[in-house]
Amino acid sequence: MSLNTDFMGKVAQTAIQGVPVTLQIVLVALLISLPIGCLFALIRIYRIKGLEQLVKLYVSFVRGTPIIAQILIVYSAFPSLLNMFIGKVAFSINPIYYAYIVFTLNSIATLTEVFRSALQTVDKGQMEAGLMVGMQPRQTFWRIIFPQALISALPNITNAALYLIKNSSLAFIMSVKDITAIAKTEAAFNYNFLEAYLVVWVYYLIICYSAEVIFYLLERYFSKFRRSTKKTTFFNWKPLSIRQPDLSADADLAKGGRDEHAQNRPFKKRL
Amino acid sequence: MLKIDHLKKGYEGNEILKGISLDVNKGDVISIIGPSGSGKTTLLRNITTLERADGGHIQFAGVDKDFQKLSSQDIQTIRRNVGFVFQNYNLFNNKTALQNITEGLIVARKVKKSEAEKIALKALERVGLSDRQNHYPSQLSGGQQQRVGIARAVALNPQVIFFDEPTSALDPELVGEVLKVMRDLAESGTTMVVVTHQMNFARHVSNKVIFMADGYIVEQGSPEEVFAHPSETRTKEFLTDILANV
Ligand SMILES: Nc1ncnc2c1ncn2[C@@H]1O[C@H](COP(=O)(O)OP(=O)(O)O)[C@@H](O)[C@H]1O
Ligand SMILES: [Mg+2]
Repeated sequence: MSLNTDFMGKVAQTAIQGVPVTLQIVLVALLISLPIGCLFALIRIYRIKGLEQLVKLYVSFVRGTPIIAQILIVYSAFPSLLNMFIGKVAFSINPIYYAYIVFTLNSIATLTEVFRSALQTVDKGQMEAGLMVGMQPRQTFWRIIFPQALISALPNITNAALYLIKNSSLAFIMSVKDITAIAKTEAAFNYNFLEAYLVVWVYYLIICYSAEVIFYLLERYFSKFRRSTKKTTFFNWKPLSIRQPDLSADADLAKGGRDEHAQNRPFKKRL
Repeated sequence: MLKIDHLKKGYEGNEILKGISLDVNKGDVISIIGPSGSGKTTLLRNITTLERADGGHIQFAGVDKDFQKLSSQDIQTIRRNVGFVFQNYNLFNNKTALQNITEGLIVARKVKKSEAEKIALKALERVGLSDRQNHYPSQLSGGQQQRVGIARAVALNPQVIFFDEPTSALDPELVGEVLKVMRDLAESGTTMVVVTHQMNFARHVSNKVIFMADGYIVEQGSPEEVFAHPSETRTKEFLTDILANV
């Protein structure tokens, strides 16, 4: 078996037009789901009546179903739904909007959990200290708690972003012309499947790797206040070195005090 | 200056504070001693409105109300006039030593940044940490963190500073540096309420000692009265126990 390298070059050229599409899906989904995920996490942590249950339900629905099922449901439900409101135009909407919807809805659920656990790693004493220097709960949240939570969330946000990049390849099901879709079409025309898929493979590798580097740099930039205690972790420049979620992040921030009852109460109860 | 009457607090039906009355005058250094679990932390947290008391009255900084009737305005007033030094320091982990101090000045007190930094530097100097101003809490020892914690409270120039076992989380060799700072503060006339197990501090620095047990004030008086001539058996027992362990 030999690889048709000419064909690979050709696929590489056409599939590159799918790169912006993939990136668009990922960026739109991330940018929308980050703030909403954070909001949902706050709803859960502060136990906002009514909403809390809704968020819980939402998260378990999304997490309890395969993304492919979510794609199929959105892709079949939304056009007909829209049809009732805006008529036939609904069927001529660029399918990338459906991809935005599915992947945003999906990421919201993931990021809600990411932010929730990150916010819980911040010691309750931080809020109390803020109140005792006269700051309002809201000011303390944004200036003290949130920045710390964000940093412990970053490794998990990175993971969520990488999953998003990879899952976005399923957008071809909704006839979105992303990297995967273009390569598939090329492959089907020429019966050179392996070559086409190898190209896809390399493209995703490059994108994921770049994302990893970007997030690593962000993490390093934002966590300057933690650097001294943490053993310095250098970035593993080898590809496919996706790190595991940093579940021990709280160990750094929440120094065990002896006053254990004062440690275990969630900060919202102490406002 | 600060007057608490019959403060009560319970958790899930357990009464922890069973009617505490307390008077703090300007310049007082009051030590609160007592066995662990007697409600000392709870008392400080309720006076400073970190928790809402179930009953009792507070007279402080122009507020003269039952705890249960405090408005959010009153709570803000009380918080702006107290300082709090925590057992486990609770420095803002994402801020440097200097920023830990300027944060409250700038955000809550609306002091100009340059002015706040001047005040903060003075406060750091006072606790002997001018050279650590740009260190993050994770880069400071426990003793240094607690000194920054004290500087943070002092810089806001509150009417009274509450200390909740400020040296209990420290390694023994670091206790001294924190106690020295507290002694300096006391000598410069800062009004302080200190929960402590440091009997030397209670005896030689404070002008008043309160012994608490089971949610009551069992006995209070001058250090001389409480330490040399305790009138209650519980006080005697506690002192015998704790002094035997020094
Ligand atoms: N949030 C809380 N919920 C339930 N029990 C509490 C809470 N806070 C304090 N307690 C209880 O109140 C009692 C007094 O605690 P505390 O004020 O910390 O005592 P001290 O500081 O004198 O050691 C303890 O029995 C403790 O378990
Ligand atoms: Mg205590």
